Amino acid sequence: MHTLKRSKLAIFIGLFPALLIYLGIAIVPIGISFYYSLMDWNGIGAKEFAGFDNYVRMFNSDTFWLSVKNNIVIMITGLVGQLPLGLLMALLLNKGLKGSGFFRTVGFMPVVISSVMVSLIWGMIYNTEFGLLNNFLKFVGLESWQQNWLSDPKWSILSISIAYIWQNVGLYMVMFLAALQNIPDEVNEASELDGATGLKRTWFITLPMIRATLMVTIVYSISNSFRVFDLIQVLTGGGPAHQTEVMTIHMYSSAFVNLEYGYGSAVSIMILLFSLVVITIANRLGKEKA
Amino acid sequence: MKQRSPLFKIFAYVFLGLFAIMNLVPIFWMIINSFKTEQEYAADPFSFPTGIELSNYVKAWDIANMDTYFINSFLITFISLIVTVFLGALAAFFLSRFEFKLRGFTYALFLLGMLVPIHATLIPIFLIMQKLSLIDTYFSLILPYTAFHLSLTVFILEGFMRGFPKDMEESGIMDGAGIFRIFWSIILPLTRPAMATVVILNFIYNWNEYLFALVLITSNSLKTLPLGLSNFVGLETANYTLQMAALTIAFIPIVVFYLLLQKQLVTGMTAGAVKG
Repeated sequence: MHTLKRSKLAIFIGLFPALLIYLGIAIVPIGISFYYSLMDWNGIGAKEFAGFDNYVRMFNSDTFWLSVKNNIVIMITGLVGQLPLGLLMALLLNKGLKGSGFFRTVGFMPVVISSVMVSLIWGMIYNTEFGLLNNFLKFVGLESWQQNWLSDPKWSILSISIAYIWQNVGLYMVMFLAALQNIPDEVNEASELDGATGLKRTWFITLPMIRATLMVTIVYSISNSFRVFDLIQVLTGGGPAHQTEVMTIHMYSSAFVNLEYGYGSAVSIMILLFSLVVITIANRLGKEKA
Repeated sequence: MKQRSPLFKIFAYVFLGLFAIMNLVPIFWMIINSFKTEQEYAADPFSFPTGIELSNYVKAWDIANMDTYFINSFLITFISLIVTVFLGALAAFFLSRFEFKLRGFTYALFLLGMLVPIHATLIPIFLIMQKLSLIDTYFSLILPYTAFHLSLTVFILEGFMRGFPKDMEESGIMDGAGIFRIFWSIILPLTRPAMATVVILNFIYNWNEYLFALVLITSNSLKTLPLGLSNFVGLETANYTLQMAALTIAFIPIVVFYLLLQKQLVTGMTAGAVKG
């Protein structure tokens, strides 16, 4: 640009406020988290350097490993629930059937409302005595199928997974739909001339065409599953007896309920590492295949 | 489109129909029962209400402080949104239209934020806000909402502004306009379509946010809608139809918003997800 001296100052003025807030609130605290994770500290007294004690304690804690296990359950049920279902819906919606717009609108609705509202609605579905699910089972004469959906350790994490899938399918549906609509018409016409129709075409022509989107949705679904918090916090708070705790809940209750800031910070660093590692691996795999 | 076989059509509509039912039944069930009395509900949770019972709504509005939560959510959402979009647009302008030494680095730095789970920053943010005596104020939420959405905002706006032809600013320079003048009256108006996406995204993310509010807000008079709602339901566990009325009150505006801006919301949130 014309006046270089003046533009240097302008660049600084333009970038500074955004950078200040962003670095100060979103980036620097990661470093502080790591620093706290090396401290034995309850927030009030003096910080005491503890080395990796918090990490050792975490790796020896059954509750921590239970939360990791629950995260993995949510990750897997998310992958096998959200993606195939979202893809199926997108394939059907891409056929230009009457009413497709309506189904898309309804399908995406849960994505728009807050997770808190999703949890509260599902809390009413799962309620043992008054809930929709148990009352429905009674209504159709399947009383023996009734369960304490959220308080029975056998069911609680699965119940949460179902609500989680319900909340997110619509997002994957529209992501797949956008990819399907980007496939050029000539591809479909050419494949038709070659006699590829129906399932065969879907499998050999359509899916390879949207492989990039498939990869993106897989990575997103995995990294998203490590960030679940609202849904579980509102539905069960991680209970009964830590049975539905995931890492984010474990971090929250250690830090803000038990006031163990040092230990909580160690857990939060693990959350960061987990998501970074998962995203890196997934990106690697995606690049190799592509 | 060519004619589909009737068998395929039946198959398709059965699946689409089941999917729609799964999504709609919980909502309808909630809305219908919100018009019943507690006794009516206990007697039969599937019947239609005998009359339209509005007492749940009156009570929910009264004792749940819904009005307070709406006002808080509204103010916090919009102030954060305006600050984020303004600062984000300014940053995107310099990142996309200027060449300088640290440009690439600064841009990469902004993108980094999309990988950071907010949970990894929660404890320090809580303690910083405490130290600054900002805990339990609007500011304690406005700052993180702005900080965490700047990445996506900068990313979308930078990409859009980069696409403008190089000589876009020329006429401004000819007229002797300063850099900020060019930003404000030439670049910003042209960025409107991308701005709409960014505004809608920021709105919906801020409006629905829960974790920061849970940690940083304690007084009832400052709670946002998601926080207030979850607290209210936690207190009124025995009052089922009352809960449903409160939920319906919170549900209606967001659904109207969704139906009005569906196209932008769907494309925006999809883009937001892909980039995040």
